[in-house]
Amino acid sequence: MTTLRLHPRVRLVWALRAALLAAFLTLPLAAGAYFGYLPEWVPIVAGAALLAVGVGHALLRYRRWSYEIREDALYLDRGVVTQVRTAVPLVRIQHVDSRRGPVERGVGLASCVVYTAGSRGADVRIPGLTPERADDLREELKRLAIRADGEDAV
Amino acid sequence: MKLAVQSIPYRALQKVSGVVILLFFLATANDWGTHVAVGASAAVLAAAGAYEVAYYRRFDYELTADTLDISSGVISRREREIPYRRIQNVDVSRNVIQRAIGIAAVDLETAGGSSTEGSIRYVTPAEATRLQREVQRRKSATKARAGGTGSATGVGTATGAAGDASDGDDFAEPVEEDLFAISPGELALVGALSFDGRLIGLLAFVASGSVPVLSGFLPASSAALLTATAVVGLGLLVLVSWVIGAVVAFSNYYGFRLSRAGDELRYERGLFRRYSGSIPTEKVQTLTISDNPAKRALGYATLSIETAGYAPGQGGDYGSQAAVPIAATDRVYDLAREVEAFGDPEFSRPPTRIRWRYGFRYAMVVTLLTGIAFAIDWWVAATLPWYGPLALLLVVPLAAHLKWKHRGYWLGENHLLTRNGFWSRQVKAVPYYRIQNVIDTRTVFQRRWRVATVVADTAGTGSIVGGDAAAVDFDVTEAVTLREELTDRLQDALVERRARREPFEWLDVDDTDTDDTDDEEDTDTDEEAGTNDTSETTADGVDADDSTTSGDAELDETEPDDTGPGDTAADGVVRPEFGATDRDYSQPAETVDTGDYAVDHHPSDADVAYKGDENGDDGLDGFDDDDGEDEAEVDSENGVDDGENGVDDGIDIADAEDDVDDDTEGDAEDDEKRRSDR
Repeated sequence: MTTLRLHPRVRLVWALRAALLAAFLTLPLAAGAYFGYLPEWVPIVAGAALLAVGVGHALLRYRRWSYEIREDALYLDRGVVTQVRTAVPLVRIQHVDSRRGPVERGVGLASCVVYTAGSRGADVRIPGLTPERADDLREELKRLAIRADGEDAV
Repeated sequence: MKLAVQSIPYRALQKVSGVVILLFFLATANDWGTHVAVGASAAVLAAAGAYEVAYYRRFDYELTADTLDISSGVISRREREIPYRRIQNVDVSRNVIQRAIGIAAVDLETAGGSSTEGSIRYVTPAEATRLQREVQRRKSATKARAGGTGSATGVGTATGAAGDASDGDDFAEPVEEDLFAISPGELALVGALSFDGRLIGLLAFVASGSVPVLSGFLPASSAALLTATAVVGLGLLVLVSWVIGAVVAFSNYYGFRLSRAGDELRYERGLFRRYSGSIPTEKVQTLTISDNPAKRALGYATLSIETAGYAPGQGGDYGSQAAVPIAATDRVYDLAREVEAFGDPEFSRPPTRIRWRYGFRYAMVVTLLTGIAFAIDWWVAATLPWYGPLALLLVVPLAAHLKWKHRGYWLGENHLLTRNGFWSRQVKAVPYYRIQNVIDTRTVFQRRWRVATVVADTAGTGSIVGGDAAAVDFDVTEAVTLREELTDRLQDALVERRARREPFEWLDVDDTDTDDTDDEEDTDTDEEAGTNDTSETTADGVDADDSTTSGDAELDETEPDDTGPGDTAADGVVRPEFGATDRDYSQPAETVDTGDYAVDHHPSDADVAYKGDENGDDGLDGFDDDDGEDEAEVDSENGVDDGENGVDDGIDIADAEDDVDDDTEGDAEDDEKRRSDR
């Protein structure tokens, strides 16, 4: 199987999230400026910087994200600051969700969450899928997990 | 069964004692007079007592054939059935008061859920012990029954002590064999060596509150005095935390005893609060052997065993302390190998360049410390030797070297071992079979040094005992190899397990000899079944050949499995190729890691598929070996299952074939079938 990428529109989701976070973080600064404790440019600059970092992160994140279903495991490769590569053996899959958050619904995307019994990587999420793709992926992983015949989760 | 009657007043008092004390406090503070307080307390107590009487009346537990049923709840009722096979740990604890009035708390853990699944508060100690034993007995009994009526003698022989003479329901209590009992000297050592660094932090936090008070007593601060106070204070902190740690450890491990009964470990410990519990060896996820410089110098180490039963946050009480608190290092390794035979590890270390990384890191910490010292110096305007911390730079190379030296990993035959930490060194052994997923992380800083960390995640308690087994800071290429190797070995382990399990299932396809578990015949029939190609299970890599090839052995429905002629002896009998594994068969099975391999725990698994209906089993329980199954297994075998039942019922094998053919397209149906099967 070839390496699969996320839907490009996921950048929008992440950028929106970054914007929300930036807004949230600049709120106290903005309040400070409003009441005259800080010069006016502080919240603007801070907000712009945060937004730039967030959006940059979102773009890099998209470029980095890939996943792959191989014959025995699901491989994920992601992470900007800390690169994380996860191998989830198909036999270890407990259950699979496809889900859509409000923002994701807004841009017409969905994600797929794979659960294992592990303690650290108990759930891995593949974001940025079209709803059909998320459902397909869920079905496919379910089928593969069943086929892989895991006899004992723990 | 009912709870102990004494539990009513105990529970009531336990619940409302806080309220009562608060009431008295309020009464004295507000001048209500004692009679009001007494009256109110009496009312509260009466209400609590009434509730507890109702609770007592409602609470009922029962040991049925397959499950432990607990019905409880006064306001909202709850009926809970816990299958014996799913119970991971049974823990009993009694604190001082509970011991005085003769009650004990019983907790049953299963792998799922975030809290204790079955909690019985409180029963008499005798009843608690009975429960503990009975659950294990019935667990083995269910297992034996699931294994059919054929031959129950093989069950538990691998563990040596298990009931060797019983069958069916009348499973005898297995012989208990002492593994370890703490000696007074060791107990003293536990106390002396259990220095908990975290306590210092806590105490420092508490003590920092008293600094302003103390500073009032101090005369004009001179440099020498300040330093002296700091040193004395620090020394006191260390001393106090050490004493606290020693007392806690002493009371925790007083009278520690570890024994093995059949396929589970049992432990007992505690001075004030007595704990006893059981750990099923087959559910062990990770073994951790930890030590610190002091212990290493004296040649001691600690062993802890993780099972999946304990959810994060509750492991502190039982899970992490369930193993050997201290023993000579050799002894600890021997005990650990009793549980998981991982052989003699030879750790490989990270690349030497990584020492520079640690060196830089420590140098940065030293610089930071110096900076803080300077800031303090500037702040109090005294002439402290703020550059003192710089002396630590001398130790940095050594520290970096030690850090590097104590890292490592080793790929054993069936286990991954990792080692980390100098001050608190942890060697973790994870059976490949228990790996849940493999994670490879590289932080920005690690990328600069072209290294990565590989984590083998298991279903253990994780965060409690310091996280998963991790090979930290290995070269990127090595890390990638390791990651792939781990997933491959997991697949191998799975294939091996399946290979162990499945020959027996096919035993009776053309051979009705049910109680024979001879290897030759197994493989033989297996081979024949394979050529018949009746179902996907056959193609599933049953014979030993396939266990060497990793991934592809899983389930190609079409692969004809008649490829094992390499072993065909002159008599035409195909023997399993034991040479395919590197196991050492030169020693008795009990002392080597049989890993359930050489000795078959459940030779009679073969009967399950047919005998299932006799037992009223739906074949669901029938299939799993000791470890139970998960859904995926049931799913994928459903078709096969039916096939076998079909054979048993005298229906043609062709049925089974059809079943399998449908299998691929009819996943949804399959699912439904499974549900209805349940």
